[in-house]
Amino acid sequence: MEISEWDLVRKCQQGDVAAYETLTAKYYRRVFMVILGMLHHREDALEVTQESFYRAFRNIKRFKGGSSFYTWLYRIAVNLAIDFQRRQKRGAMDLKENMDEVIVETETLGSDPYRELRDRQLGKKLLSAIDELTPDHKAVILMRAVEGLSYKEIGRVMGCSEGTVMSRLHYARKKLQEKLGSYL
Amino acid sequence: MIQDCQEIRQSLGAWLDRELGASDAADVQLHLQSCASCAAEKARLERIDSSLKSMLEKEASQVAFEPFWAGVRQRIAEERPWHDRIIDWARGFLTPPRLAWAVPAVIILLLGIFSLEKFFPGWPPVFGQTNLAAVEHIDGHGFNVALLREAKTKTTVIWLFENQESEDETSAEPASSEQAF
Repeated sequence: MEISEWDLVRKCQQGDVAAYETLTAKYYRRVFMVILGMLHHREDALEVTQESFYRAFRNIKRFKGGSSFYTWLYRIAVNLAIDFQRRQKRGAMDLKENMDEVIVETETLGSDPYRELRDRQLGKKLLSAIDELTPDHKAVILMRAVEGLSYKEIGRVMGCSEGTVMSRLHYARKKLQEKLGSYL
Repeated sequence: MIQDCQEIRQSLGAWLDRELGASDAADVQLHLQSCASCAAEKARLERIDSSLKSMLEKEASQVAFEPFWAGVRQRIAEERPWHDRIIDWARGFLTPPRLAWAVPAVIILLLGIFSLEKFFPGWPPVFGQTNLAAVEHIDGHGFNVALLREAKTKTTVIWLFENQESEDETSAEPASSEQAF
């Protein structure tokens, strides 16, 4: 029988590392995607994601179940990524090069090479456009586009109202459209 | 009721996210059926979301669980020392926007503490004024001059002697003069 998420959380609160392994397996890729989108650097994103899971475990006794576990986890992860970005004054070229490698490594041309080339170009352009957004704008667009979180959930993660989430998303999408222009 | 293209485009993102009320959502849907320009705008927004998602999904699919979990488990096993955790905690307060508030606040607090001395002489005891006397040696014009200041009673004692060595040999121990106050 599958154990419910809340039961797993309760076990973790009693120090059960195996239960936390199950929770981590469920969410690590989803958290990694959002953090990678924010940092645009694979190793940094892995580091911040691991640190987020570690801190979540360390503080799990404070989680009272007022929101879903993943909303609470995202809050830790997104705050860490925002702090990391503010601390780390990594050069724009460094970021771009790292993510260009990602795209080249992960994509091979398949049955529709024209479309895939276009997608690849769009991907590169999209990354550099996202990089120009503020950390808060990046976080909302990634949590919405990649994770499909509702405005209410994003508001809980970011500690702001649904109206603020809506206006940040509108602004971020507008900026991305301006930057991407004919690639869309 | 939403009517023109500009209004529709303002609401398009929220409509795609299914965050519009039923009435506004119906307006947007109806408009999109008859407006090619807004339909193209909707397609562009969808393309941004789908490109972003597929690109990050591809990268995330390459991260294996075992090494990832090994990293987390290692951190859990190696509980960091208390001073590292304090640094982590303090780092949160040292971000530029917070410092912008913290620095003037600390200055105002310090000014406030120092100005209290005017109204409550001798307070706070940690800053400057203590019951201990301070002895300063000044060398000049062939004499050694020693000043002894005691803050609480505002007493100053000045004495002259020819040289430090002879003073040390002939006078009473400095400790006893301190005890006199």
